[in-house]
Amino acid sequence: MIVTKDLTKQYGNFIAVDKVNLNIQPGEIYGFLGPNGAGKTSTIMMLLGIISPTSGEIELFGERYTPSRLDLRKRIGVVPEKHPVGMWAWMTAVEYLKFFADMFVVENAEDRIMNLLSQVNLADVANKKISEFSRGMLQKLSIVRALLHDPDILFLDEPISGLDPIGIKQVRDLIISENREGRTIFVSSHLLSEMEKICHRVAIIFRGKLMAEDRMDKLLLKLSRDREIHIDLEEIPEGIVENIRKLDFVIDVSTEKNRLKIKVPKEGDYRKNLSEFLIKRNLIPIQLKERSISLEEAFVTITQDNVEMLAGVGGEA
Amino acid sequence: MNYRLNSTGAIAKRKIFETFISPGFYIALSIGLLLGYFVIGGFVDSIDSSGLNYSLNSIYELIARSLSGAFGETFVIKLFAEGPYLFALFVSFIPFLFYLAISSVFKFGFEKKVGALELITYGPADGTSYFLASFVKDMVFTLIYLMVLLVFFFVSALINNLVLGPMFFYTTVMMIFLSFAFYGYGVVSSVLTDTASSAIALFLGIALFFLIIQMGSFTIVSGYVRNLSTVLAWIIKWISPVFYLDLGMSSIGYGNVPMYLLSMLLLLVLTGGLLLISHLILKVRGVRV
Repeated sequence: MIVTKDLTKQYGNFIAVDKVNLNIQPGEIYGFLGPNGAGKTSTIMMLLGIISPTSGEIELFGERYTPSRLDLRKRIGVVPEKHPVGMWAWMTAVEYLKFFADMFVVENAEDRIMNLLSQVNLADVANKKISEFSRGMLQKLSIVRALLHDPDILFLDEPISGLDPIGIKQVRDLIISENREGRTIFVSSHLLSEMEKICHRVAIIFRGKLMAEDRMDKLLLKLSRDREIHIDLEEIPEGIVENIRKLDFVIDVSTEKNRLKIKVPKEGDYRKNLSEFLIKRNLIPIQLKERSISLEEAFVTITQDNVEMLAGVGGEA
Repeated sequence: MNYRLNSTGAIAKRKIFETFISPGFYIALSIGLLLGYFVIGGFVDSIDSSGLNYSLNSIYELIARSLSGAFGETFVIKLFAEGPYLFALFVSFIPFLFYLAISSVFKFGFEKKVGALELITYGPADGTSYFLASFVKDMVFTLIYLMVLLVFFFVSALINNLVLGPMFFYTTVMMIFLSFAFYGYGVVSSVLTDTASSAIALFLGIALFFLIIQMGSFTIVSGYVRNLSTVLAWIIKWISPVFYLDLGMSSIGYGNVPMYLLSMLLLLVLTGGLLLISHLILKVRGVRV
């Protein structure tokens, strides 16, 4: 759906985006992560046709995309991080949405507007001036505006920033339900725990370079140094920790109450070996689970700890 | 479908509605009519049995002296040859033209600063759609304003037993094209700058520069200006809306209608050129501050 080839943006001598190759598949929720100043905004602005790349290409819906391709822009919906009130301050939510419906030539605009406003619980304030809207209400209104023309792809920049827990859940549910209906979602956020909940694939950009792009589970696996297997027993017999430590694939063992925490290499699955080892000793595992690293940990790893080492992790960098 | 045209239409529709319901237009209209009323009233008060006598009205005397000093006595005689309406047209219309141009320049800068312009361009629109819409809105309100002025002047002419002469009508048409060119310069000022205040300063600077150059051709320094910068002055005059206004009015004075029409055509070409330049500048600079 969106493919970039060596996408580069240079401001004077500063390279903001350096030969970035993205590949966003139809129907997926694609997370785009990066710390401030990593080149995230420049990349998104190029994808939206707001700024032109210095070099490289963008392919959108199978066609070469340039800022002048207004026909392709019509197929995109955008929710910016901050919703500017500007010229619309004096308008009601419905008037505001009608203005955009006019621009996008939306058929049966009034029905669609009311339907979408109901989905985000804004139907009651449809005739309220948007200058009186709270940040959360503006964010939801912005999502409604972006969905008004039924876009093929929805860009969301920090969609839940500044929302209360209920608002976060509503927006999250809306993103998931829109995706289930087949809409491709491109989401950029610094709230990594939320990204982990909704994204199918993520890309991490750092210092203008794409450090990694993969499925969420694969990426987390790639970025974890070791695996940690947690086994809960009724009680931990004496000497068992030392015996487990002697196993050739075990890196380290520790305990926490009735839980064994066993570190193993990230390559390979050792859960079966450990189960068999314990059963042979008449120890029944009450619970066995593998603890994977969180996206937040992966993000920190990639952006702080091992920049040089990880330059090749994603393969696409 | 032409997406730019469609989005320009949608934005223009909204801007026209917005201007209609805001007090700014009505205040500017009232001030313009009031200024026109004073000019006409002063003219009527300055008429005695021997004809027009500026000294009968202190404001008129001051105006006539100032204009004679700046442009010469012949200019003043020509200006009032058909009565007060030609001068009233200038006095009523020019402030409105500046009000409309400056408010559009301000809005462009403001919308750019708050990111509203960028939000529009996420859809099937670009910066050009926005400034074209703004330009269309200015055109519409210029025409509305001139129509109101015409009605007002016509009624006052009937009441005061005066006439609206041919020079007045020719100049009124000329004013439409003159305003388009000024709005064009407003757009150029907007796209060249990052803030509303710098855009307004640039626009006023450009307008003042053209007025000074044009006034220079009437006054004592005209010879100096002409001799000092033969090439520069030649270039400047072709990009000055005031030069075309002067050319058109002079042509009518000589009865040269084709030259009058040509001056309006050249104003249109100048406006088109300014909008094209603005489009190209926006393509390079974008709508982000």
